[in-house]
Amino acid sequence: MTTNTPAVDVQTPPTAPPRENYLNCSKGFKSWALTLDHKRIGLMYLIGVSIAFLSGGMFALLVRLHLWEPEGMLFTNIEYNQIFTLHGAFMVFLFVIPAIPGSLGNIVMPLMVGAKDVALPKLNLLSFYLWLIGAVLAVLAIVLGGFDTGWTFYAPYSLYTDRAVVTIGMAIFILGFSSIFTGLNFIVTVHKLRAPGITWFRMPLFVWAIYATAILQVLATPVLGITVLLVAFERLYNIGIFDPRLGGDPVLFEHFFWFYSHPAVYIMVLPAFGIISELVSVHSRKPLFGYKLIAFSSIAIAIISFLVWGHHMFTSGQSTYALFAFSFLTFFVAIPTAIKEFSWVATVWKGSVALNSPMLYTLAFLIIFAIGGLTGVILGALNVDLHLHDTYFVVAHFHYVMMGSIALAFFAGLHHWWPKMFGVMYNEFQAKIACALIFVGFNATFLPQFVMGSRGMPRRYATYVPEYAPYHQASTIGAMILGTGVAMMVIYLIASLLIRKKAKENQWGGVTLDWIAPTPPPHLNFDHEPKVVHEVYDYSTLDYDSMQRDCN
Amino acid sequence: MINYLIQDPPKNDTPWADVPAPEIDYWGQLPVQAGNFDHVDGLFYFTYAVCIVFFVIITGVLLYSVVAHRRKTWDQKPLSNVTHNTPLEVVWTVIPLIIVMIMFAWGFKGSLDMLTVPHAAQQNTYKATAKQWFWTFTYPNSTQSISEVYVEIDKPVQFILESTDVLHAFYAPSMRVKRDIVPGRYSSVWFTPTKKGTFHLFCAEYCGNNHSRMYAKLHVVDSATMEEEPWNVVPAADDPLEDRIAYGAQLAGQVCASCHKISATTMMDTGPSWLNLFTKDGDNYVGRKREVIEDGVTKTITVDDAYIIESIKNPTQKIVAEEPYRGRNMSKFDNLDDARIACLIAYMKSLADN
Repeated sequence: MTTNTPAVDVQTPPTAPPRENYLNCSKGFKSWALTLDHKRIGLMYLIGVSIAFLSGGMFALLVRLHLWEPEGMLFTNIEYNQIFTLHGAFMVFLFVIPAIPGSLGNIVMPLMVGAKDVALPKLNLLSFYLWLIGAVLAVLAIVLGGFDTGWTFYAPYSLYTDRAVVTIGMAIFILGFSSIFTGLNFIVTVHKLRAPGITWFRMPLFVWAIYATAILQVLATPVLGITVLLVAFERLYNIGIFDPRLGGDPVLFEHFFWFYSHPAVYIMVLPAFGIISELVSVHSRKPLFGYKLIAFSSIAIAIISFLVWGHHMFTSGQSTYALFAFSFLTFFVAIPTAIKEFSWVATVWKGSVALNSPMLYTLAFLIIFAIGGLTGVILGALNVDLHLHDTYFVVAHFHYVMMGSIALAFFAGLHHWWPKMFGVMYNEFQAKIACALIFVGFNATFLPQFVMGSRGMPRRYATYVPEYAPYHQASTIGAMILGTGVAMMVIYLIASLLIRKKAKENQWGGVTLDWIAPTPPPHLNFDHEPKVVHEVYDYSTLDYDSMQRDCN
Repeated sequence: MINYLIQDPPKNDTPWADVPAPEIDYWGQLPVQAGNFDHVDGLFYFTYAVCIVFFVIITGVLLYSVVAHRRKTWDQKPLSNVTHNTPLEVVWTVIPLIIVMIMFAWGFKGSLDMLTVPHAAQQNTYKATAKQWFWTFTYPNSTQSISEVYVEIDKPVQFILESTDVLHAFYAPSMRVKRDIVPGRYSSVWFTPTKKGTFHLFCAEYCGNNHSRMYAKLHVVDSATMEEEPWNVVPAADDPLEDRIAYGAQLAGQVCASCHKISATTMMDTGPSWLNLFTKDGDNYVGRKREVIEDGVTKTITVDDAYIIESIKNPTQKIVAEEPYRGRNMSKFDNLDDARIACLIAYMKSLADN
């Protein structure tokens, strides 16, 4: 492969000062706080969303600990309701939605299209600060009395409760703008800043995924903004949109909310699909099976996802015609999703499969996502959903997608691009152990929840009928294992920054532009404007000689 | 900061204490079917089986290739660079499509069955009123029961559902029925119980503080038992005082204890405590003085039967002005009939003895 450094540079003694890159090209607080470099903004996002994830995770562990006993171990019912709401709201709005586009998308996507930066760098910085303001408001809402509505804020409870619903609503409103601006930025970047030779069908699939996500962010998020604004107005001025006492309609809230929040599921999961597409290809050293089909299925999912929101409301009393349409389309969206899974597996088939930690996280994703996707099919069936709706079966299903798939894909991407971002490698052995702990812990947490869910355990219960206790306890033990794995991951990743074991120029043997750029990339990403003459994922261009030199 | 002042109902007193755990079916996933909607179980297990087959195929191929094609030397090339196989891609698109369309049709047909109330069920209509955080059931003959309901085996039954405050959902897992209850509109569920026993009836839509305590017992009994009206347990005015007090205590535990301190052992203290409402003077009960706000005017009244009845049926008429309860409004409990309220008052007065 073509690195831009001549061979002699690779053999420079380690005492030589490191070449200039985006991390060391300028110093000081201001150089970070006011940076326009997409990689620095991405790193700030990474720190932010990681803190949000760890706080959301702490809430989750508290929830699981509490449910060890049928009558609850730690909290009053009222405190429990706040804790599970905080877990959901932090995870969804502060972590899962912004995590991959904001951090890895920001850092990697411009590299992949061979751009110097995103199209609108100042807007990019604004997105980050809006995220930060949203996060601060969310924390403020806790101080102001918390909120106990669940992350869905269903009216009319969210209108009547005496908690800080308006504050958290404003947080979500502002976070929505952060998301919209990021999406806008990425759409323009993909359209306008592709390097010469990168045609649409030479774009890596991560870029396709980020692009499809960006469209959803721009189109769907305003609806959420309007909805939380209406809830705030309703609470402050009693205007009667959702409040049945004033002639409003609570089901309208559900429609508004899910019109955003179902596409939001794909805002969350499409970037994860993108990461997995990249990693499966690089670590199998094989072009992606069915590239175009995967690219188009991202777009297909993005479109259909606007038309299935009603499957969150099968029990809410929609008309039979609505049920018919929403159930049909829900089954329909299973097809492009299944095609993706099959294509990934077919890519691994007869590849040269490296069992390094990013690939282990990827394999964990493929297995967990299979379960998450397939159980979604069970829930799509109307009559079955009337039994399973709002039970732990649903809780387990969406954790298999949101935590097991999206967070694991995020971890996979983090391990994959960590050497690119920082020029250092983490301890591979520890990474594999942590991955195993996370995989085992995750399944131990959520498989029992399928069983108790189909046996009738409703969700959001602070106390429960004692016959579910063994499943709750298994789930709690699993959560502790999962928590241990995540804690271990955080420790070895931070340790790698202190130990500074130098990473290779092209750690995994990638052929997309993100691996052609120097490691870590300089401020403007490339020393020369890259020109792409090969098809994407053409591993015959992989320069084994330079990789070998790099090994020495 | 109200949330740190109020606390939970006592933990030893679960509403489901004497309800046996439902049996679990052969495959271990669902409670044994006690209603008529068998197609839910059928489609659930069909889909489950299909999912397991697909899961085994996917992970099988994946794990086989990971083991068989793993990279042994750092520069190992892949065995194949194939990126397309049109027949294969058609197969893995079309077969799942056919399967999910079968599931869709099966599921939709089943849901029509569940959503279309047959004539027989319409003839046997109950009303279920959901209120934070208890259920009131009204029988076809207009009698009522609270937190438990009796239905006759093999007789289709319809529940008209209504909510007086926020969203709730009627969920009887053993019958496979669930329906959201939206304040301001009616919804309904129907089923035919096919198995005698006592089953869980949960609230499945999050409704606030004591959501997990919003529970009722669903009794399926034979027609002879139905005729005895076992739910008709409210003692009348001429019944012994002990019975009325005992029933009042039970009712208070089901309905009132989620906000009021109804005895020395309950914890919740959102609304005014019942402990010192009356004092005993010989054989007479003397109500305490209390500051209330009526029509914006603060005044002092004496607690008596009329005041309590008004406070239950129309609580915003006189709002308690004493700390720490000032400014906390109670919602109407106009679904409690006079006989029940009389028992509650008898219970309140009995607290003066202690």
